[in-house]
Amino acid sequence: MSAKLSKPTFKPYTGEKARITRAYDYLILVLALFLFIGSFHLHFALTVGDWDFWVDWKDRQWWPLVTPLIGITFPAAVQAVLWSNFRLPLGATLCVACLSIGTWIARVFAYHYWNYFPINMVMPSTLLPSALVLDGILMLSNSLTVTAIFGGSAFALLFYPANWPIFGMFHLPVEAGNSQLTLADMFGFQYIRTGMPEYLRIIERGTLRTYGQIATPLSAFCSALLCTLMYTLWWHIGKWFATTRYLKRI
Amino acid sequence: MKTLWQNNPCATMAKTISYRNANALKQPFTKGLLFLGTLLSVYMLTLQPVMAHGEKNLEPYVRMRTVQWYDVQWSKQKFNVNDEISVTGKFHVAEDWPISVPKPDAAFLNISTPGPVLIRTERYLNGKPYMNSVALQPGGDYDFKVVLKGRLPGRYHIHPFFNLKDAGQVMGPGAWLDIAGDASDFTNNVQTINGELVDMENFGLGNGIFWHSFWALLGTAWLLWWVRRPLFIERYRMLQAGLEDELVTPLDRNIGKAIVIGVPVLVFMFYTMTVNKYPKAIPLQASLDQILPLSAQVNAGVVDVETVRTEYRVPKRSMTVSLKIKNGSDKPIQIGEFATGGVRFLNQAVSVPDQNNAESVIAKEGLILDNPAPIQPGEQRTVLMTASDALWESEKLDGLINDADSRIGGLIFFFDSEGERTISSITSAVIPKFD
Repeated sequence: MSAKLSKPTFKPYTGEKARITRAYDYLILVLALFLFIGSFHLHFALTVGDWDFWVDWKDRQWWPLVTPLIGITFPAAVQAVLWSNFRLPLGATLCVACLSIGTWIARVFAYHYWNYFPINMVMPSTLLPSALVLDGILMLSNSLTVTAIFGGSAFALLFYPANWPIFGMFHLPVEAGNSQLTLADMFGFQYIRTGMPEYLRIIERGTLRTYGQIATPLSAFCSALLCTLMYTLWWHIGKWFATTRYLKRI
Repeated sequence: MKTLWQNNPCATMAKTISYRNANALKQPFTKGLLFLGTLLSVYMLTLQPVMAHGEKNLEPYVRMRTVQWYDVQWSKQKFNVNDEISVTGKFHVAEDWPISVPKPDAAFLNISTPGPVLIRTERYLNGKPYMNSVALQPGGDYDFKVVLKGRLPGRYHIHPFFNLKDAGQVMGPGAWLDIAGDASDFTNNVQTINGELVDMENFGLGNGIFWHSFWALLGTAWLLWWVRRPLFIERYRMLQAGLEDELVTPLDRNIGKAIVIGVPVLVFMFYTMTVNKYPKAIPLQASLDQILPLSAQVNAGVVDVETVRTEYRVPKRSMTVSLKIKNGSDKPIQIGEFATGGVRFLNQAVSVPDQNNAESVIAKEGLILDNPAPIQPGEQRTVLMTASDALWESEKLDGLINDADSRIGGLIFFFDSEGERTISSITSAVIPKFD
């Protein structure tokens, strides 16, 4: 295959060649699926970790700050590869879908069946709405800068409201032990985690509370700003690691 | 070509040699596999469940000089799913808190379990219910109670223990609990402040699955929209040929616009619906409970104990403590027990009423005094107390000599003629003797 093909000389593959290229598509897709389920899930578990594992870690300050910031990494890198070389605007959605599959498998089999936690206590968050918008902005803008600024910001800003329908109900107040708790806190108290004392939770800490009780928008905008930078960084990491050298030999 | 190759003697020889080589290689390979298989089988056949919780892992000086447990009792050790049991006990927070361990400004009374086979329904410190972490005061005395409810049938080894922030886990005495019944019978309902009864085992699960499925459906549709067309090689060729405009069609762009506008609209619509549905939602709670210690239970002023010198004889596995004791009570007293790092050394000459049905590690004849006569009221005496047992080694308390902070701490239990108990804490540097 030549990189110097011009418009008039381009002819789509037909017959056996077309079938082989299609088989190659599926082969890469299946490999990508397993690769991203494993690698992105591992990356996410090691970096976002407890904020995504437990319902009583999903607070209004750190959870919306940390999760999109880490969640935009692989999508940016994969978008760089798929968009730059193939004009495929599905990198973010593909990565996040793989992440969702990986986290659900881990939560059901490792946390529930192996360690006996109720699944509702360890339900993962979703980044799919954010990923869809990120892919859409990249496709419409065809620009790293625009996608980093507007897509990265949207990725972070959409995270908390997109997940509130899932987790809002866990914030209903409960009276227990002469104190006020949320249902999420009750999960943390009741379902014993030997290695997870309450004081380890990094929730509601730090100077984000400067703006009092409106910490969530502040966290979300802080995350949006950081996501624009993180997106750009990981876009370049994706470009750096990816190659089309083998395609050119076909 | 094929015929030529087949008739070529060199080719035939090469084939024969490689076949022989293959056979020669195959034998050691098979043997190796058999050997590995045998090893694996032996390993699998000798597998045993893990029974420990790392209780011996923490440095001895942390176990001996932080949280000093005593009188730990379980209300029941055999019960059914949904039955409630409690574990009660007392602990003294050592005055001689190790310098390398952060002060217990945040400590969490926990239960070591293999996952939530029990749930914790209530917890009390000094009679006060509390839900979060708590600050402990060195020198303070506390009693505790934790109420647990059976969730999964089985036989489990359970300890109460303290998670100490930045220090680790200090285990209390453990016990075997047998939970009978059927796991599917377990119920755990919690009432919200608004009066709604919530099944904690399933609450919000269906809703969560619904929203995940909803977004997964949109995401899958977007992926399929692109995957249905030729992907990598064809698109790469077209892009290189300058056919970029044909790779993203006007319809694709319209769908993209719908996503960029529609998804945020949907997100904020669903968000608003949820906010309206749960207007009383509150943030996660993260306070530190403040509970003062009890009036002095240990070192209550009745018996004064001063540790003069402590020696550990490594070959004999015995700790000899020189104690200056002044009996300020109105009755003769005797040392009945020395407890440190979860090990209890008992003086056989004294009848010690057992207030502990947890599996304490006990040296029943482990405590010897140079002068066993009772200390009379008002008397001051220097006593050589020797705690000897292999438990120093098996419980890994003798590792103290390898610590930077080689000091011992523990509780001495005195008993008068009527069985009344007085407790004193001791602390001292330890001098090792290697002869």
